[in-house]
Amino acid sequence: GYLDDQFVQLEELQDHANPNFVEEVVALFYKDSSRLLLNIDQALEKKPLEFTKLDGYMHQFKGSSSSIGAKKVKAECTLFRDYCRAGNAEGCMRTFQQLKKEYATLRKKLEAYFQ
Amino acid sequence: MLFRNKMELKPQVSDTPSQHQQQQKQEQREKHFHVLAVDDSETDRKILEKILSVSSCQVTCVDSGDKALEYLGLVDANHQDSASPSQSERSQEDGLKVNLIMTDYCMPGMTGYDLLKRVKGSSWKEVPVVIMSSENEPSRINKCLEGGAEDFLLKPVQLSDVKKLQPRLLKSFDQSCTNLPDIDPMTTDNSKSNNNATKRKALSPEPSERRPKMKELTVL
Repeated sequence: GYLDDQFVQLEELQDHANPNFVEEVVALFYKDSSRLLLNIDQALEKKPLEFTKLDGYMHQFKGSSSSIGAKKVKAECTLFRDYCRAGNAEGCMRTFQQLKKEYATLRKKLEAYFQ
Repeated sequence: MLFRNKMELKPQVSDTPSQHQQQQKQEQREKHFHVLAVDDSETDRKILEKILSVSSCQVTCVDSGDKALEYLGLVDANHQDSASPSQSERSQEDGLKVNLIMTDYCMPGMTGYDLLKRVKGSSWKEVPVVIMSSENEPSRINKCLEGGAEDFLLKPVQLSDVKKLQPRLLKSFDQSCTNLPDIDPMTTDNSKSNNNATKRKALSPEPSERRPKMKELTVL
């Protein structure tokens, strides 16, 4: 699955007073994600790679992904950070491509969910 | 729900004194348990704010340790440390009540740990500080607990995590409300409880009337 128990937690927090809570959280996630993915894209253009900076961005992105229960995206984040710490540029770039694919799939799933 | 007990949910035929006290205590908590939530992630602030309001807490959210210190009156708007302790004491005298601070560990600038140390070295030192982090690092956890943190929660924070904090936090909250720590509310007789109710209202004015307005703060 693309979403873990954390997403269920968010659904359970939604009530009559805030019927759009989950949608609002996801909107914030998109906002955070777009910004961070752009930062990472740009940082990956600079050679040699600044691994500490990249790790920092990915830490934030992993945090948001975790908060909405985006399991697969979170796994790619962890992998990316491992490569950062190992100073493996090739690994970072490959993983980031995979991460962007997972993120795109997630967005499609969420769009379907909110129909 | 964090503060509701089973008695509240049953329809009452007659209102006995102890049930009346429970009702008053419930209302007291709902109006006045105030949490200051600190997190640089907007997503996480929104979720935490929801968890806390579902738990009947009043919530103020800020996006950095600096903003938290400003809110508490520990630093002025120019980011100078308050020259004397009096500014934060004045905030407290004006009726600013913060019953719990929940802060993210990893934040740009001031970390949650830095904030913890600042709070514990100030006139707000009695306020429990809970630290949240996505990293399950024992050395980090120990450092925070040794630094005076009430607890350390792993992110993503869930409703059940806040519920677990409840018994410990409520105990000291109720004591500060009644201002009579040795009195067991269940055995207090009716006339005394009326006096206490009046006292409680006087001690804890509506925070919305007294809280200083800070334009720069993001209050969700």
